[in-house]
Amino acid sequence: MNAIVSIRDVVKEYQLGQTTVQALRGVSLEVLKGEFLSIAGPSGSGKTTLLNLIGCVDTATRGVVEVAGKDTAKLTERELTDLRLNTIGFIFQSFNLVSVLTVFQNVEFPLLLQGKLGGSERKAKVMQLLEQVGLHTHAKHRPSELSGGQRQRVAVARALVTDPLLVLADEPTANLDSATGNQIIDLMKSLNQQKGTTFIFSTHDHKVMQHANAVIRLADGKVLGRESAKDAVAHALSLGEAAANEVRA
Amino acid sequence: MGRLSMLVQIAWRNLLASPINLIIGALILFGTFLFVVVGGLLDSLNAAMARSVIGSAAGHVQIYSAKSKDELSLYGSMGGDPDLGAVTEFPRIKEALEAHPNVKEVVPMGVSGALITSGNTVDVALEELRNLLKAKDGVVDRPEYKNLAPAELDTRITASRRHVRQMIKVLDADQKKAAAILQDKAIDPEVVAALQKVSSDDFWAGFDNDPWGSLEFLENKIAPQVTDSQLLFIRYLGTDLDRFQQSFDRMQIVDGTRVPKGQRGFLVAKLFYEDQLKLKSARRLDKLKDARSLGRLIATDDELKRFVKENKAQTRDIVLQLDDLKTSEAVTKLQGFLKSDEKDLATLLTAFFDTTDENLEVRHGFFYEQLAPMLQLYKVRVGDTLTIKAFSRAGAISAVNVKVYGTFAFTGLEKSPLAGTTSLMDLMSFRDLYGYLTADKAEELAQLKRETGAKQVTRESAEDDLFGEGNTVVAEATAGVIDEKKEFTGVGRRLREDDLVRRVYSDAEINGGVVLHAAVILKDPALLSKTIDELNALSTEKNLGIKAVSWQQASGLLGQVILFFRVLLVMAVAFIFGVAMVIINNAMMMATLQRTQVIGTMRAIGAQRTLVLSMVLVESVVLGLVFGGLGMLVGSGLMSFLHSHGIAAPNDVAYFFFSGPRLLPELSTANLIIALGIILLVTLGSTMLPAIIATRVSPLRAMQADE
Repeated sequence: MNAIVSIRDVVKEYQLGQTTVQALRGVSLEVLKGEFLSIAGPSGSGKTTLLNLIGCVDTATRGVVEVAGKDTAKLTERELTDLRLNTIGFIFQSFNLVSVLTVFQNVEFPLLLQGKLGGSERKAKVMQLLEQVGLHTHAKHRPSELSGGQRQRVAVARALVTDPLLVLADEPTANLDSATGNQIIDLMKSLNQQKGTTFIFSTHDHKVMQHANAVIRLADGKVLGRESAKDAVAHALSLGEAAANEVRA
Repeated sequence: MGRLSMLVQIAWRNLLASPINLIIGALILFGTFLFVVVGGLLDSLNAAMARSVIGSAAGHVQIYSAKSKDELSLYGSMGGDPDLGAVTEFPRIKEALEAHPNVKEVVPMGVSGALITSGNTVDVALEELRNLLKAKDGVVDRPEYKNLAPAELDTRITASRRHVRQMIKVLDADQKKAAAILQDKAIDPEVVAALQKVSSDDFWAGFDNDPWGSLEFLENKIAPQVTDSQLLFIRYLGTDLDRFQQSFDRMQIVDGTRVPKGQRGFLVAKLFYEDQLKLKSARRLDKLKDARSLGRLIATDDELKRFVKENKAQTRDIVLQLDDLKTSEAVTKLQGFLKSDEKDLATLLTAFFDTTDENLEVRHGFFYEQLAPMLQLYKVRVGDTLTIKAFSRAGAISAVNVKVYGTFAFTGLEKSPLAGTTSLMDLMSFRDLYGYLTADKAEELAQLKRETGAKQVTRESAEDDLFGEGNTVVAEATAGVIDEKKEFTGVGRRLREDDLVRRVYSDAEINGGVVLHAAVILKDPALLSKTIDELNALSTEKNLGIKAVSWQQASGLLGQVILFFRVLLVMAVAFIFGVAMVIINNAMMMATLQRTQVIGTMRAIGAQRTLVLSMVLVESVVLGLVFGGLGMLVGSGLMSFLHSHGIAAPNDVAYFFFSGPRLLPELSTANLIIALGIILLVTLGSTMLPAIIATRVSPLRAMQADE
């Protein structure tokens, strides 16, 4: 089987006071190994919810979510945590580095949780990753001493240090200027190409979207379709113009 | 290992990030410091007091009758001495207890108190004159006059008469001074007449013709004018003196000698001897000198000022002690010393006793070199026979004469009022005083029965014997049956004749009578509580009828003092750590709530809940260990400083608690370990709830942007 993520008829409901909100309304999709996939859609379309379900940090109300061939609904809390640790890497919108740890320690953290490598191996691995993201000279810095782009590179290194099959990035460029955002996407893309790691990232920025192999478009909790990056960008641009016209009118 | 070191690093950096941790840390530091230092001091005090109590009377364990109404309290309690049942089978008990492998020695005891009265100064001088005159007539009442040569006796009588005449002179002068300032009606003409009579040469010329009549006149009319008679309460421990001296090796004879083995005798506690029996002016001079050597200044110290004032005002004790020859000798010496023309001894003494920080040393020396040899410094001298009167258990007054062999003190406790006021008495005299039947008394009773033909009336047949038909017990009282010359047969007579004083009692006789309690000396004091349990079990098993208690219990309230302070310490430390717990709990709760995103991120990237739990717990344990460790370090430092320098006893009472002039506190490892335990308990306990809350933070929290 070539699919790393397989989602079938997934519904996710939230309880907001008395009312039930459906964030996802019967979503089905497959993500193949080695893909560099973007999930696009306006705010509230269900991008983050979908990523949460794929990242095993949340569970579906109905439907099946399979990650790396495992039905996440059948895993215990502990097994889900292990799955996240060993199979998935996370890149967050606001970087989410541990402020009291150095750059090196932040990247080393997942390796320590795994407990598989000895000290020197860990060090070699972390330094290799930092070199790949161009921050090997900043290993002893604290996150507060870095720029936003540098922090997100540290986050990328942390996400990849365990050699995960899948990296999830939720709006990874949202807190960055466009040039830095592009650099991060380039970095992710090059890692995707070098290591064959599957990347799924959510964005509503068409400039970011255009780097993807394919784009899943979501609206109102439903998958509108799977498009090429080019189509998706065009779609996004037209939507953007229509919205601009609406504003002008 | 790598994971733990990272958790510690996270903890350490989080600690430095929050100022509230400094407040928590300060509390933990102070609490630990207090526990280590005060705990160590209390332990050292307890050990020192144990040495004092065990070494000065109690032994390790005390036993007393299980039927006692009160609990044993060696140092007395609020309501006076405890009411203890008599231990009647002491030899059997002693034998049973000494068979226990950890018992070294059982020393019989009884604590009681009595009054010793000394007549006023004039009474004492007149009594001496009377005794000397009686000795001349061949009636020797006091052993010390027994072997005096007639010439020596005459010299003493002359000196004694001169002394009495000098006293009268002083009293006459007093009376004349009083007459000058008092109204006529305040002056008793009878006193004036009596003084006039005894001041005249005629009275003394006729003295030899009627010595007994003259003495009676002096005793009835003159002696009552002086009101310095003293009623002294003396506390004593009746014991097997020989065994006591062997078992309590801190006891040292200061003046005189030990009481010879098996004999009756009395050893006065040195501090009591100095405080109560010494000439007050001399005692105050000693105290002034002691205080000066400790750096206290007469110029600024109220107590020392009072001593000087009292010395200046109370010169009479000295004036009344000297006869005319010695008075003029003292006047000459003082005139020379003070470079004065004053002729009145009292005025000279007042000037002499006006001691200052500068002249004290010289005057103290002059007093002891020049004046003291003319004076009787102590009311009771080593070798004197002391008459002690006490209320027996039945309520009657009994009295014994005991020879004072010397004074004693416990090494290191010389100045302690608690250890230095209980004198020692032989067990025979103690039993006589306490009203228990001693061998001598039993013999006397038997003899009386034989002589009078008295019959024993039993309880059952008492009514019949006394009031029944043909009773044989009741006899008519006949005048002249009592032979006054036979008044002093038996114990009273023999004591007077110095017979019992010299008698050597066997161990069986000493142990054979009643005792009130006994000290048990252990071979291994570390097994104290185990041995007490075993002795109590032994008492039940062999029906000994005794109760065994530790020295601490036996010392009554005194033994509870340390316990009281310990409770206080525990309360203070509990309060401090209680406050610390509340603050730690709040601070960690806040910290957890502030860090939900970090915790969520950690959970998202694969940290199990246990790791989050450890992270929060490690943080507060690190906080506790760092500041608690600092507290221990500072506390240990202070303790080692105190150990090398010692703490000087601030006053005489503290000598007992310090078991000497200085307390050398020891740092106790146990306290450090307990402190560590408390720190871990407090920090872990107070962080448990925030830690559990932290484990419930969802990994979803990582996805919610809040930066």
